[in-house]
Amino acid sequence: MAKNLDVIEQTTNELTLAERQQKKPKRKKKKLKAVWMYTLLSIFLVVSIFPFYWMFIGATNDSSKMFTNPPTLLPGDQFMTNLTNLNESIGIFRVLFNSLFVSGLYVVIALAVCASAAYVLAKYNFKGKKFIFTAFLLSMMIPYQATLIPLFQMMSDFNLLNTYFAVIAPQLCFPFAIFLLRQNFLAFPTELMESARLDGASETRIFISIVIPSMRPALAAASIFLFMTQWNNFMWPLVVLNTNDMYTFPVALSSLMGLSYIDYGQVMMGVTLATVPIIAFFLTLQKQFISGMLGSALK
Amino acid sequence: MKKVTGLVSMLLVLSMFLAACGNSGSDGEAGDSNKVTAWAWNINVPVLEEAAKKFKEENPDFELEVVEMGTDDVYSKLTTGLQAGGKGLPDIVLVEDDRVQGYMNAFPDAFVNVSDKGFDEMKDSFPSYKTELLSKDGAMYGFPFDGGPTGVFYRTDIFEEAGVNAEDIKTWDDYIEAGKTIKEKTDTAMIGLDLNGDDGLYRMMLNEQGTFYFNEDKEVALTSEESKKAMEVNQTLKEEGLVKETVGWDAWISAMVEGDVATAPSGAWLYGSITQQGKDTSGNWGVIELPAFEEGGNRASNLGGSNYMIPSASGNADLAYDFMEFFSTDKDVQLSAMEGGLFPSLNTIYDNEAFTKEVEFFNNQPIWNLFATEMENIPAVNYTGDYAVAKDEAVKAQSEIANGKAIDEALKASEERLKNRIQ
Repeated sequence: MAKNLDVIEQTTNELTLAERQQKKPKRKKKKLKAVWMYTLLSIFLVVSIFPFYWMFIGATNDSSKMFTNPPTLLPGDQFMTNLTNLNESIGIFRVLFNSLFVSGLYVVIALAVCASAAYVLAKYNFKGKKFIFTAFLLSMMIPYQATLIPLFQMMSDFNLLNTYFAVIAPQLCFPFAIFLLRQNFLAFPTELMESARLDGASETRIFISIVIPSMRPALAAASIFLFMTQWNNFMWPLVVLNTNDMYTFPVALSSLMGLSYIDYGQVMMGVTLATVPIIAFFLTLQKQFISGMLGSALK
Repeated sequence: MKKVTGLVSMLLVLSMFLAACGNSGSDGEAGDSNKVTAWAWNINVPVLEEAAKKFKEENPDFELEVVEMGTDDVYSKLTTGLQAGGKGLPDIVLVEDDRVQGYMNAFPDAFVNVSDKGFDEMKDSFPSYKTELLSKDGAMYGFPFDGGPTGVFYRTDIFEEAGVNAEDIKTWDDYIEAGKTIKEKTDTAMIGLDLNGDDGLYRMMLNEQGTFYFNEDKEVALTSEESKKAMEVNQTLKEEGLVKETVGWDAWISAMVEGDVATAPSGAWLYGSITQQGKDTSGNWGVIELPAFEEGGNRASNLGGSNYMIPSASGNADLAYDFMEFFSTDKDVQLSAMEGGLFPSLNTIYDNEAFTKEVEFFNNQPIWNLFATEMENIPAVNYTGDYAVAKDEAVKAQSEIANGKAIDEALKASEERLKNRIQ
């Protein structure tokens, strides 16, 4: 038995030896290709990481250090100073909470709205369905500047200025999220729905207990998208919010941009803090997100 | 399933509730008759608050809410509110000099006529270029606040090394000659310019000559003699290699504090930026007035500055007026603005120690005195409502000239384009 194994090993060794001689240039080529690949990837890595690094440098240094030549490339010791100054300027916790609250609430409600709309558009047949769907998609082409003033007037007429409701409401039905979810719902086997129907489940029950659970990856992707949209939303909150204590993070950050005097230490500290929740949100949903992407790739 | 609907409806109720609490007051609508809301940007906020504190001594019920926002954000919100017919506007809003006439033209009845309320009595306390800027058909529509008297900020260390005496620079020709010497001796550029992006120097030179993109009849004047002379200075500086191209504000500031350029013609407010960003260069700075176009000519000019206006939609305009009149004319309030890095246009305080003192950062030169005496000589000019488009065209011309196009030709083409754009 052992002998046999030896023989086999030997032959494989010989084989590989022979093979090696044959394959040598090829492998070298492969190796060379890998080197190029990694160099290229490292360059991309540096290019994409550097702005974040620079942001961090700015957050830990005095504002004047941002202007030196050669540039300061090491973290400084002004982290706490910048943090306290920023807190004094805009009240970090208040605006962070505001933004988290607004974005969180928005994701939950918008997801419910968009998922329902997408489900109907994907799985039911009724007159004018195509028209409605096209109308949704076309509405993506309207620039927000065109709707800004009428919307503002509307909110003002409803006496809703300076409320979070006004911040969230106009975007609850988000065409891109509806589109994204609809495409995923299309792939859901209709047979499953039919068998549930035969078992006597109501339509709502089918949607909530059968369709939704299996669509988690798609919902995760949509919610990351919705969260980012609301978290970064600037113009609309700026226009409808009228007191400093209602400000969301981007609006509060922008208030640091005066005319000739701007403390970049504070600004950089602010943007550093603003990226943290997005990273956290992405990391928690990452698994779902990636499995969702793979799922659609395997189709 | 019940759980989910329950959760969603709970959140909806919660958001409505928050909506309800957020909405109380702050719209500047009647009801809260002792409260005034103001929109302003960073360095102006402490001044407003200081003024409110003092105003309260006489009017104990008075309350001021300052909503702090970025400069551009003020305009975004103000424009939206005005276009929506005056909805959601504050009682007081801060507007820069070059924007004032644009707003007054586009929204003729949108701001309170302060002459009607008695502000004309204080008119003499402000330089005429400011009061004229805020006037339409003989009435004033705002309160002059800070100004941007110009000067040439220069690095004394570089001038010394090159053996040039800044005080000898009287005309733009002198300035160019000094630049050549400095270039030769120290290999340092004379000035940082963003030739394709901003025309600050050109605007200062126009204002110095008493004109602007538009003449006193509000006609396009890009091809005027004054405009050509100003562009010639730009061109010569560029051709002699005295210009370091700095793209954007940050690069410009950085070039100055790093000593890559020897001078920076700018408004008095530059003080705040260079003392902040160039802490290590203390004592190496000086200021002279802008050079004149001919010996003995006017050297006063303005760049920047801002004013407070009261939107007509304010439900509390009378109180807002009383407060702003106090704010604009109270010496202590304006001196506190001075401390915060703003240059007040209230001329009754120019004999104060704050204006006559020697400034350590500027090699003990009494720079504020220089700016204060300049204020009354600043010529009034027309910015008009088409300021932004005109600036765009002027920058285009400047850029083309820097790239070798003839001055006449470039200005003429820009003037034609501008006329078409504002028809």
